[in-house]
Amino acid sequence: MPAVQETIDQVALIDVDQYKYGFETKIEMDKAPKGLSEDIIRFISDKKQEPEWMLEWRLDAYRRWLTLEEPKWARVEYPKIDFNDIYYYAAPKGQTGPKSLDEVDPELLKVYEKLGIPLREQEMLAGVKTSKIAVDAVFDSVSVVTTFKEELKKAGVIFMSISEAIREHPDLVKKYLGSVVPTTDNYYATLNSAVFTDGSFVFVPKGVRCPMELSTYFRINEKDTGQFERTLIIAEEGAYVSYLEGCTAPQRDENQLHAAVVELVALDDAEIKYSTVQNWYPGDKNGKGGIYNFVTKRGDCRGARSKISWTQVETGSAITWKYPSCILRGDDSRGEFYSIAVSNGHQQIDSGTKMIHLGKNTSSRIVSKGIAAGFSQNTYRGQVSTHRKASNARNFTQCDSLLIGDKCGAHTVPYIEAKNSTAQFEHEATTSKISEDQLFYCLQRGIPTEAAIALIVNGFVKEVIQELPMEFAVEAQKLIGISLEGSVG
Amino acid sequence: MNIQTAITMTASETALVDAYTAQLGELPGDGAVLSARDALLNALKTEGLPTRRIESWHYSDLRALLRSVPAFDTAAFAEGVEPLAAGSSVVRVLNGKADVSGAPEGIHIRRYGESLVEGVAAADLVERGTDDAIGRINGTFVRDGFEIEIPAETVLEQPLELQLVQSAGQSHSRFPVTFGAKSKAVVIERHLSVNDAPSLVSVVSDLIIDEGAEITWIILQQQGSADSHFGQVNFDLGADAKLRIFVINAGGKLVRQEVHGVTTGEGADFQMRGINLLGDESHTDVTFTLGHDVPHTTSTEIIRNVVLNRAKGVFQGQIRVAPDAQKTDARMACNTLLLSDDADFSAKPELEIFADDVQCGHGATVIDLNPMHLYYLMARGIPEAKARTMLVNAFVDEIVEELEDEAIIEPLEAIIAAWLEKHA
Amino acid sequence: MLEIKNLHARIAEDGTEIIRGLNLTVKAGEVAAIMGPNGSGKSTLSYILSGREDYEVTEGDILYNGESILELDASERAAKGIFLAFQYPVEIPGVATMQFLKVAMNEQRKYRGEEELTTPEFMRRVKEAAAELKISPEMLKRPLNVGFSGGEKKRAEILQMALLQPQLCVLDETDSGLDIDALKIVADGVNALRSPDRAVIVITHYQRLLEYIVPDSVHVLYKGQVIKSGDKSLALDLEANGYADIIGAAA
Repeated sequence: MPAVQETIDQVALIDVDQYKYGFETKIEMDKAPKGLSEDIIRFISDKKQEPEWMLEWRLDAYRRWLTLEEPKWARVEYPKIDFNDIYYYAAPKGQTGPKSLDEVDPELLKVYEKLGIPLREQEMLAGVKTSKIAVDAVFDSVSVVTTFKEELKKAGVIFMSISEAIREHPDLVKKYLGSVVPTTDNYYATLNSAVFTDGSFVFVPKGVRCPMELSTYFRINEKDTGQFERTLIIAEEGAYVSYLEGCTAPQRDENQLHAAVVELVALDDAEIKYSTVQNWYPGDKNGKGGIYNFVTKRGDCRGARSKISWTQVETGSAITWKYPSCILRGDDSRGEFYSIAVSNGHQQIDSGTKMIHLGKNTSSRIVSKGIAAGFSQNTYRGQVSTHRKASNARNFTQCDSLLIGDKCGAHTVPYIEAKNSTAQFEHEATTSKISEDQLFYCLQRGIPTEAAIALIVNGFVKEVIQELPMEFAVEAQKLIGISLEGSVG
Repeated sequence: MNIQTAITMTASETALVDAYTAQLGELPGDGAVLSARDALLNALKTEGLPTRRIESWHYSDLRALLRSVPAFDTAAFAEGVEPLAAGSSVVRVLNGKADVSGAPEGIHIRRYGESLVEGVAAADLVERGTDDAIGRINGTFVRDGFEIEIPAETVLEQPLELQLVQSAGQSHSRFPVTFGAKSKAVVIERHLSVNDAPSLVSVVSDLIIDEGAEITWIILQQQGSADSHFGQVNFDLGADAKLRIFVINAGGKLVRQEVHGVTTGEGADFQMRGINLLGDESHTDVTFTLGHDVPHTTSTEIIRNVVLNRAKGVFQGQIRVAPDAQKTDARMACNTLLLSDDADFSAKPELEIFADDVQCGHGATVIDLNPMHLYYLMARGIPEAKARTMLVNAFVDEIVEELEDEAIIEPLEAIIAAWLEKHA
Repeated sequence: MLEIKNLHARIAEDGTEIIRGLNLTVKAGEVAAIMGPNGSGKSTLSYILSGREDYEVTEGDILYNGESILELDASERAAKGIFLAFQYPVEIPGVATMQFLKVAMNEQRKYRGEEELTTPEFMRRVKEAAAELKISPEMLKRPLNVGFSGGEKKRAEILQMALLQPQLCVLDETDSGLDIDALKIVADGVNALRSPDRAVIVITHYQRLLEYIVPDSVHVLYKGQVIKSGDKSLALDLEANGYADIIGAAA
């Protein structure tokens, strides 16, 4: 159909250059020297005024990391990373931790204004519903401001940067840090454990329902820096929290590394809802530059009847490698993974989840929607497994891929491992292009091609969009539109 | 991976290397064949048998699973049996030694041993890739088999049974088969064991299916409970050709059956049906890859597994759609009845799609029997145990029925029923 | 023949109580109609009578020929002569209809200590019964209920009933989805089975079926209880005036 070809051409033309967050901010920075060594780790730890045990923890991880081999992944290709050519610490001058809004460099505040991130403690208007959203803003290696802290404290919720938490709540951090993703977990998680700089810490005590949405915005600004985010969220018995992270970075020719570790712990009857809108710089239309997003995210449904739900909208990064996972340890616990992964230009996405069923009567649900355009490669990789003793495990997986254009690839690699006769696993996957029948139907009703494709793609991802907190659903939908600009204008 | 570093060989690896040295004088082939064998053995020696770190062996760590390798036993005696389907032509490989008598009229057939002696077989003895352990083992030790050509437009009215009977030791066979344009045939590759003595059997079949041919290839594996069985079918499917492969596993201790193919002509249609009856302490792996390399080709794969006792089962299926292979229609399904808590099954159905105008899908389920079905049968007075057996039978018979030839369906259903009777 | 006493039952999985103190007696030779609005527990009753495990009886008893059947599983009840014609007959791919009929008939005979049928005898019986119900041999070759139309499925249920010769037949909304011709065939099939030593329970929404299978008694089920019983005129009354008055009077 010629109309479709036209659209494909247009996508190819406009490509990823639509990235709206690619501006760079000139801010005087404090940096550690380039490269990685025990001294650099001492430097980071010192900057963060960390206790001795934390430094030792980092050094342990570093020594182990030195013995590890860099992994090679089946479907992801990139030039070898020179880990000594990266700045592991970069913070705006004079800012080693969050300050009150009045003290923050106005230039920095302008950055967040430009990104559309509310740092004033104001109510955010989304649709008809007014709601409060607490924000932790991480700029390169440091959290610059955290809003609504006091109000949250009244409810018993701790929301602060991880650096602060290490100083102010060492017992909690000691108890939970590394308990879900051990420092030995994998190459990038081990590296992160050695050099992580900032990220968020959330603690929701027993029986508390967090009164507002929490969110962290990660911004990489400085050239040649790596960002090593570390986030830890704990929901005690019966607690509930909904958390969202967003990420952006300037347009640069060089690749930059973002290697995060996120750990979630849900105790009995607790629920954690974790949403990501990932929009790191994807590189230009020739595949130059962009963020390498190598992330380890894992939730531990430690308590009975606990629930962890991951929702992700992945539109950015040159390479994304992440598998937000759930360890369903507690009886009757539940894990969910909802994902939209949009790749265009020369982006490579290898993402999915792991659902590890250990407790009895555990259930999981996976809904993954991949959209590949341009020259991109988009892979879903997911594992569902039951332990031998995990009776009555249930999983449902639906993963659908949509291809726009014939230069891209969409791949599905599920690993289904059943060791208990009472397990019920259902997995379904489809790959297709936009249905010509649907398109024709829309056209026949007078809807132009562009709008028709937008309509169909929106329908394709709707099931996942609905899982996002309402405040972000609209934003995410727009973002998908921009990522596929030309086909979904 | 650091390939240069010499590995510490396991007992089985050592046994394979030693067997080669011991058999060297016995293995047919000219200089070219010999150096091909040497190269394959050398690869085996330096890299060892594949472990779970090799992606295509992730669920079947051959290095750990192949605990022992029986020595060659040239004195062992094996006898042929009646064909599966009455009226079939039968050619036999008894303990690794082929005999062409019994071949039907109208086809060209000779012993593969002759091709080895003449050296023309040297070109066959290569590995598919560095993960091709079956190709390596078979190529190193291959001694016989059949080279078959079904001339163009030849229609075989009766099935052709390739009957391989093993009583002890090892046997390694190859079947290069060319199906000429518009030929039609049903071939049954049947593996039997006459006793419980452990044996190691490898088979590689290379099928070339020319334009418009319609071929059914049935692999029925019923080896003994101590046997290792490594099978590989490679095929190249031409324009408008149809190939159906049925894999029925109902035996063996350690089994890996690979099926690898490409469609090379428009209008090609491939169908695979698999039945894995897994019991005792066996480990059975069916690994399948299919490349849709040209536009307008279709495929469907349906695999049904019944897993009992302490058995472990694996299905890996990969469908690749090449760039520009537009209008590909590919569907794959893998359904497992896991009937024991000590059993396990792993499935990895994979789609690798590089063209946009395609319809591809896969489904995988691990389930117990449908309680509504069970209830309905019981509500008609059928006791629970009987109702369960009926449903398990139905689950796999559905696949067998697709063969449409009663002469083959009946004995297969009988084999399945007997197997279930014994294991369930 | 059947005596249900103060029956309470719930859905096993979530504990929802569906049957709440139901009493009902059906004598040999009787045709009893059970009517009631949606959600009153009609289908649940049929499942509980036939022994579906998704329901739990929490109180009361079901006596069949004077004996409690609560401890019997579905196949034992069937072998004792309780037959349920399903509202939605289940499709079972891979199980051939003929094979299914043969196994069911012989297993029931075995349970009762009777000789198994010979194949020719079995074939003769099936052919005869199928012809009565206008079921083609083609249909019998297919897997059980797979690809059957709604009407074909209902006729296949009656065929099974004719072959199994039960003592207590429970017809769950057998009229739903049938056109008038199919309805007549099904009703003729049921009527042919009426006899002094056999009882029939007809569960239905509408009076229509009862014009063809004339009941001896009519019972109105509401919220898991029989709230009114009467003769066939009760069904006509319901058809004309709806359930509202009876429900109102019972409340």
